Amino acid sequence: MFSKIKELLKLDIKEDKYALADDPLFGKISKEKKPDRWIKSTCGYCGVGCGLYIGVKNGRATYTKGDPTHDVNLGTLCPKGLSEHQMLYAPNRTLRPKIRKSGKLQDVTWQEAFEYTAKRFKEIQKRYSSGSLAVISTGQLLTEEFYALGKLVQIGLGTNNYDGNTTLCMSSAVMGYKQSFGSDGPVASYEDIAKAQTIFVIGANLADNHPIIVHHLMKNRKNKKIVVIDPRYTKTASLADIYVPIKPRTDLALLNGLAYIIWEQGWYDESFIKNRTNGWREFVKHIQNYKPGETAHITGLDTKTLYQLAKLYANSERSLICWTMGVNQSYQGTDTVSAINNLAIMTGKIGKEGCGPFSITGQCNAMGTREFGFTSSIPGYRSFENDLDRKEYAEIANVPLERVPASRGYKYAEIIEAIEKEEIKALWVVCTNPLVSFPDQKRLRRALKKLDLLVVQDAFMSDTAMIADVIFAAATWGEKEGCYTNSERRCNKANIAVSPPADSKSDFDIFLEFSRYLGLEEMLFKGWKKPLDAFEEIKRVSKGRLCDYSGMSYETIEQKGGIQWPCNEKHPEGCKRLYGEDMPFAHEDGRARFVCADWIPFESESAKKFPFILNTGRTVEHFHTRTKTGTIEILEALAPEAWIEINPTDARRLRVKNYDKITVSSPRGKVENLRVKVTQTVAPGTVFVPFHFNKQLINIVTAPLFDPKSGEPNFKQTAVSLHSEKMPQGVEIRSEIAGTIGYRKEKSADYTDFTSTKKESDVR
Amino acid sequence: MSSAVESFINYKAKTDMQCGSYTIDLPPLGENQQYRFHFDATKCIGCRCCEVACNEQNNNPAEVKWRRVGEIEGGEFPHTFRMFLSMGCNHCIDPWCLKGCPTKSYIKLENGIVVHDDEACIGCQYCTWNCPYDVPVFHKERGIVTKCHMCYERIENSQTPACVQACPEGAIEIEAVDTQKWLEDSIDKEGNAPGLIDARVTNSTTRYTLPKNIPQNYVSADEELIKPAHAETPLVFMTVLTQIAFVGFFALFLGDAAHLMFGLNEPSKYMAPTLFMLGALGLSLSALHLGRPLKGYGALKNVKNSWLSKEALFLGVFTLLAAAVSVMYLSGAGKTLRLIAEAATVAAGAIGIYSQAMIYKIPAKPTWNRNSTIYRFFSTGYIGTLVLALIALVEGDYAIVNILLALSILLGSLQIYLFLESQRFYERSDMNEADKRIVQKSKTLLEEKFKGQYRFRMVTLPLGAVVLPLTADIALNAGSVGFAALFLASAVIISFLSELAGRSLFYLTAVKHSMPGGFFVGTQR
Repeated sequence: MFSKIKELLKLDIKEDKYALADDPLFGKISKEKKPDRWIKSTCGYCGVGCGLYIGVKNGRATYTKGDPTHDVNLGTLCPKGLSEHQMLYAPNRTLRPKIRKSGKLQDVTWQEAFEYTAKRFKEIQKRYSSGSLAVISTGQLLTEEFYALGKLVQIGLGTNNYDGNTTLCMSSAVMGYKQSFGSDGPVASYEDIAKAQTIFVIGANLADNHPIIVHHLMKNRKNKKIVVIDPRYTKTASLADIYVPIKPRTDLALLNGLAYIIWEQGWYDESFIKNRTNGWREFVKHIQNYKPGETAHITGLDTKTLYQLAKLYANSERSLICWTMGVNQSYQGTDTVSAINNLAIMTGKIGKEGCGPFSITGQCNAMGTREFGFTSSIPGYRSFENDLDRKEYAEIANVPLERVPASRGYKYAEIIEAIEKEEIKALWVVCTNPLVSFPDQKRLRRALKKLDLLVVQDAFMSDTAMIADVIFAAATWGEKEGCYTNSERRCNKANIAVSPPADSKSDFDIFLEFSRYLGLEEMLFKGWKKPLDAFEEIKRVSKGRLCDYSGMSYETIEQKGGIQWPCNEKHPEGCKRLYGEDMPFAHEDGRARFVCADWIPFESESAKKFPFILNTGRTVEHFHTRTKTGTIEILEALAPEAWIEINPTDARRLRVKNYDKITVSSPRGKVENLRVKVTQTVAPGTVFVPFHFNKQLINIVTAPLFDPKSGEPNFKQTAVSLHSEKMPQGVEIRSEIAGTIGYRKEKSADYTDFTSTKKESDVR
Repeated sequence: MSSAVESFINYKAKTDMQCGSYTIDLPPLGENQQYRFHFDATKCIGCRCCEVACNEQNNNPAEVKWRRVGEIEGGEFPHTFRMFLSMGCNHCIDPWCLKGCPTKSYIKLENGIVVHDDEACIGCQYCTWNCPYDVPVFHKERGIVTKCHMCYERIENSQTPACVQACPEGAIEIEAVDTQKWLEDSIDKEGNAPGLIDARVTNSTTRYTLPKNIPQNYVSADEELIKPAHAETPLVFMTVLTQIAFVGFFALFLGDAAHLMFGLNEPSKYMAPTLFMLGALGLSLSALHLGRPLKGYGALKNVKNSWLSKEALFLGVFTLLAAAVSVMYLSGAGKTLRLIAEAATVAAGAIGIYSQAMIYKIPAKPTWNRNSTIYRFFSTGYIGTLVLALIALVEGDYAIVNILLALSILLGSLQIYLFLESQRFYERSDMNEADKRIVQKSKTLLEEKFKGQYRFRMVTLPLGAVVLPLTADIALNAGSVGFAALFLASAVIISFLSELAGRSLFYLTAVKHSMPGGFFVGTQR
């Protein structure tokens, strides 16, 4: 009472709450939050894989601090990592298992949830087929959990209709690596990004999405040329020496065109091609269609630029190409990845310091599911189609060979399609939120209504959890133990700082306990109690494979700040890069393959009716569908709603100004109330909208167009129309999209009078 | 299960920069040297790590940001220009926050860091007006202002400030600067950044490394996000009421002097008490704008330097004297003594109102920073004479009513002139570019956001200040006391409402110098 009065009268300025105290590890920090112990762990957001310490005070996480000894982040963290501990106390945690009863989700015991779900799974599989049950998982579990889930689904539940949300982000990289090198596996290290002399950053906005990688990118800056190839002038583009404003979805043509110039100029590495690759002659024939004039025409660049880029890449001693979703999330994602690989192998820029084609992953453990998740391959990068691989796995894991599937089941989008056709009747969604992240939302939502059973396992009440029939309340980062593998194949250890809240359990425990109700524990997880038990099996499963964990232990991983696989007797310290001179490629002949793939133009349904090209992406403050960051006040306040970036030329024609609201439409629907941001970061005719937001849900308009090889959606280009209050019917565009190349160093002269250079011809 | 290393205090991260490590190597400071921030805009990627790290370090809630990041854009696609600016406190050599603080809550440490003494602060927020970088920020929960202190307690222990440690790109650094050399030449070259007031205004110490190709017509991301300033409702009433009381007392003094010297009728005994009550009401209302109203007396600590302290002191004296004069009128004390007391009251009031006006003469708010602010603060008091006229009318002393109405119309006309002058101010071209941008934002607020209020002000000012008093005078001289009273009462009410509306606009539309902001969050103030 007294203190309340004191507070009301502001006699108390809460000095103690805002005072500092001495922490033995980190020095002066907030007294109120000063932890009684620090737990070493790894960040659970993106694929960069930063080492950190979680501060715990009275059983509550109060701090996350970057580990200065960790080679990935050297003591720094991004804003999401710095506030990560707040996520644990989000008001939207699932907390207790739930079952929908008379239309409402009601808390139940784990026993009831498991019994009910096991019964329904069995019923449905019996009534329809074993494949009528599908599972969609994530890139955010721990590797041990992925391994347990994969085994449970593929061997135990006997359905191979199992895929992860990694198909929405990395599957093109996976398939592209497989096409070129015979196996998945990112080739290079962050250290190579630091050491490269020439870096092409293609379709990757590292500054927003992987700020800690920018630290490595900017190292050695004076002796380095950074080329950013992106239709949008991103934060990353502003760091570039050369910004290449390529027309949307013409990257494959550009890469083929650069290969042509390198061939034409004789800048290729003859001995590397001869000794370590296959398919050169066919490839040379193939690239004849991409002569500089043609390539310039397709990409909207000029031939001078093409020569400059080819020369820079081929003639620097250390050249590296890194990419993310701009390349992967494309109808031609897989082939574009292979085209990047083509450049690397024709110039021998692979397996050497500062070199390599290098995919940067989006989720903390997208890599873990690729290695041992049992979705696109059998654990340990084994092939479903290869009988020897199947046999080998069955023996090591001690499971019946006939239960190891001989083919990959449906990919993510195919699962949705099968639900639509009522071929799949039960869906188990683990730690992902399709109701925000999947394209063509209306169709997805119609399809999901046809399910007999939707089980959602998540730590947060995501949009998808809200429509579930059963909820398995999971623990999340900081509450469970295991490994995350980052973009550079670094296996990091994540540890338990606090216990899972209320009745929630770690995903690992959920899988093991659920398997008991399914009668599968004995076959799959005999003697397993802790993630370590899975880790030991993973080590055996991976021994001798590219993703070899056999030389690792939890202790060494922690000591070294993560270990990059392969880690075995030959590479006891791990391996900084793949395919060096002593490491053959993973195709049977040990050689890399040139992949001949033709560029296919982006075609829209009706160019006249939907004249704008919509690009979607992320912002630094948020992670994916905001189930985590949307509840963290400091992050949410910085980016509270979706916006649409529109070039001033288009804004004038639509008669909109900053902060106006605008509607985007496509044949699949419309998204209203997007805040207009008039900006020169997008080309006329193109717009950008972040995909994080569930209220202004941009995936209503994106198209169900998928890379036929990887199954990855073509998120980055959608033909749309814009409707402002004053121009409700939208406007038409006549101008060419994207323009000439921007040279950072040469643009100052005619720079200041940009307002006068608008061409009338651009405006109808 | 997990093995934490013993301490990171002595561990150096391999970043080759100050970032990453929790310890910092700083040179010992020589003579004339202080610590300062160096911000490298060519490295910053706008990731806002510094903002989050700062709040995590200092336990501040999300709405209290000591470090903020803004964005600037220009050029034409694909020759786009984009730059980010992260700013904490600039630890100025002549900090305006410190200069104006009535409670001496700001201290410039020997190492140059400007820190805030939380316990001394009464939450008057004068510093939040004064700082042209918008650095000090009011902390609602605590009732006081807080600000970036460069993590001085960490620096004193060779520990890295949170923002410096957290920046993944090493864009924020601490370094030592020789303040004399800095002021001699380099401040003009390295102390300025786009969207900030000239560094010489406060002699800011932050050094900026900027990209070379900044286009002339850059805009900040929040250029069109024009937020009104704080309404300052208690201050609206406080200033108008004290100004009314002062001018009323001035008129009363003149009248009393004329009574003694020329035999004019004696002023009504209700006049002084009425004015006293208005003044006292205003002054006590002012405490409501404080974060810690009960500590309001702390405002008297810095009479030597702070206009706010001066205002508080002299208006306090004015009110006390006004009370004394009121007692004299009511108790019938000696007239000479009364006149002397009135003179003293008027003198204290004049200094008080002048000090009050000077509070607003600050470079951070260009629409306030002009002489007419002072004139306006005095002329607003014309209502005081209207009030006295009303009392005289009720008392039946028509000769005095006539005189007072004439005086009030004179002052009211001056107020109308100043209002017209303020409209012309928005079109003035003799301002620097930075001020112009701000003034145009104020104008937009006035003409768009507060259009209705502005119109009300435009119509009611001439009505209350001239038309109604004149009509009242005509009615009186035509013999209709009833109509005269009606018009006069209306004049008092309408002019009072008009002045409140005008004063409220004065606060609401006073856009500040600050920093370039973010698209959604603006400058986070």
